[in-house]
Amino acid sequence: MQFVTDLFVSAQGRLFDSLVQPVLFALGLGGFVEMGFEGIEFVLLGLIELAIAYTLMRPLEAWWPAERWAQRRAVRVDVIYTVLNRLGVVPLAVFALLAPVFLGVDGWLRFHDIIPRQLEDWLPALDYHPLASFLIYLVILDFAEYWRHRLSHTFRWWWALHGIHHSQRQMSFWTDSRNHLLDDLIAGVWFASLSLLIGVPPGQFIGLLIVLRLVENLSHANTRLSFGRLGDHLVVGPRYHRWHHALDLPAEPRFACGCNFAILLPVWDLLFGTLYLAPQLPPTGIHETTTQEINARDDFWAQQKLGLVLLWRALGTRAGKQPSA
Amino acid sequence: MSLSHLAPLLCLSLLSATACAETAIVLNSVDENVSFIDTRTYKETGRAPACKEPHHLMATPDDSSVIVACAISNELVFFDPRTGKEQKRIKNISDPYQLGFSPDNKWFVANSLRLDRVDLYKAADFSLVARIPAAKTPSHMAFDKASRFVFITLQDSNEVLAIDLKTREAAWKLPVGPTPAGIHMTPDDKHLLVGIMGANYVEVIDWRARKTVKKIITDKATHNFLPKGDGRHVFVSNRSVKGSISLVDMQTLTEIEKYDVPGGPDDMEIRADGKELWATARFARKVQVVNLDQKKLSHSIPVGRSPHGVSFISHAPRL
Repeated sequence: MQFVTDLFVSAQGRLFDSLVQPVLFALGLGGFVEMGFEGIEFVLLGLIELAIAYTLMRPLEAWWPAERWAQRRAVRVDVIYTVLNRLGVVPLAVFALLAPVFLGVDGWLRFHDIIPRQLEDWLPALDYHPLASFLIYLVILDFAEYWRHRLSHTFRWWWALHGIHHSQRQMSFWTDSRNHLLDDLIAGVWFASLSLLIGVPPGQFIGLLIVLRLVENLSHANTRLSFGRLGDHLVVGPRYHRWHHALDLPAEPRFACGCNFAILLPVWDLLFGTLYLAPQLPPTGIHETTTQEINARDDFWAQQKLGLVLLWRALGTRAGKQPSA
Repeated sequence: MSLSHLAPLLCLSLLSATACAETAIVLNSVDENVSFIDTRTYKETGRAPACKEPHHLMATPDDSSVIVACAISNELVFFDPRTGKEQKRIKNISDPYQLGFSPDNKWFVANSLRLDRVDLYKAADFSLVARIPAAKTPSHMAFDKASRFVFITLQDSNEVLAIDLKTREAAWKLPVGPTPAGIHMTPDDKHLLVGIMGANYVEVIDWRARKTVKKIITDKATHNFLPKGDGRHVFVSNRSVKGSISLVDMQTLTEIEKYDVPGGPDDMEIRADGKELWATARFARKVQVVNLDQKKLSHSIPVGRSPHGVSFISHAPRL
């Protein structure tokens, strides 16, 4: 185990010394040196997480698929999204956006002797039980993710962006990262803002992100895998999430904006009346209405442009509820 | 002399410092805990939770506690340096990053690197006295012998800030080299040594004249200081991944020795007998031990992520 750690740390150190530190110093950003070092760890862990996802989920998709495809061309664009995400492009943009705002606000508060309360202030025992605090943070963030996800289906302007994620008709574990870059940015700001507000320590932040990412990889996988009747109500799995991506849903008002918005814990869908499960494995995608939308299915740049065009149109009309799919 | 000072002396006289078992406390910043290392076997014996984003630890002047500064959870955690047991927590210490006690033990100073601020507390009860703006990124600190001034490196504005502890106001600023980090007062109270992390040298400042008088070339990413304890020499960590530690003569203001210490050596501690130098290797998740007789690395001890501070009770005097 120490050998693996040494290998990891050695790669991290080399990247830091040869790439990140010189750039930070050249830009006069010496104060971000330690953050830069941890940023490399974030990227490396993202790549390892992706390797784990590929090793575990690709065989599942090959041997036990939900759908058999004649060719996998449509998956390629999702691979591009995944690489962009794991190389830290989007997280870096989120950081650049958030850091000045939060440091400014936090600095002002502290200078005036206002220290925001944190979870451990209410439950001091958590100071000594990092695993317990990790699990509590996970549940809180998962709850927030449920609402972010649900709202992205509810507001017309947000759906204009989020619809790109749902336009994939060959859904695989790569599809997890298929998001319009602006949608990704909003999601990142949402997740990071809440993490900062509730005081998630940086050391746990990466772990929380990785757990959620792995579950999301699996829930998008093209596989018949099911956790069983009980298990599917405990943790979001491929069958559960496939219904979220279903081309068609039952015509019930409560599913007007979609169903199964939970990322990790189905309990949120249960509580808020948005859970739907059936034994079948439905086809995925959305009903596109224009040639432009159909042509954008497999094209990264076309998707980015389409998202912005639809967003512009949505903002130009009165925002209302957006019927899913 | 306190009992805590007698223990290592007794140990020294009976055997040798290295033969006496004691606990080294190492702070793992990213893992948010502390590691305990048996200084005789050089093995990690356990870990204990610390707090959110702990940065830097330091012994209290009487060596009765090791204080960990918790930047995100706004508190100080005190550990018993002999047993490693947590002693207490002081809450509502806002965003402490680097800590220091004035030589007269009147002041406890905490730098808030993230939020551009220096806080002055009464050392007796840790009650806040003043909060002083200190842009950008106040990093390390040093005091003059009279405890009149605290000198702070401002990492992102490339300056040294002097705060007058009498008026509790910023007194002056002096431009220095890129990304200044560690800062150390020479025993004669004449010069401030500043580790220029964005380059490869120690900048020597005549602080009364407020001017740079010399640059001592050491190695890439010059970072922090630890006095050897003989009143003449100081160790300087050069915190690159390749890494080294220089020994600087504070009388001649020259580098006289250098040891290869890979992994980004940062904070240091020295054994009471002066035979071993310990350094946390930030980028290697290790504590590196340098045998000062052989002038080379003798042990690499795996610890947690981003180790940022090491302390043990039988250390050499801070001279």
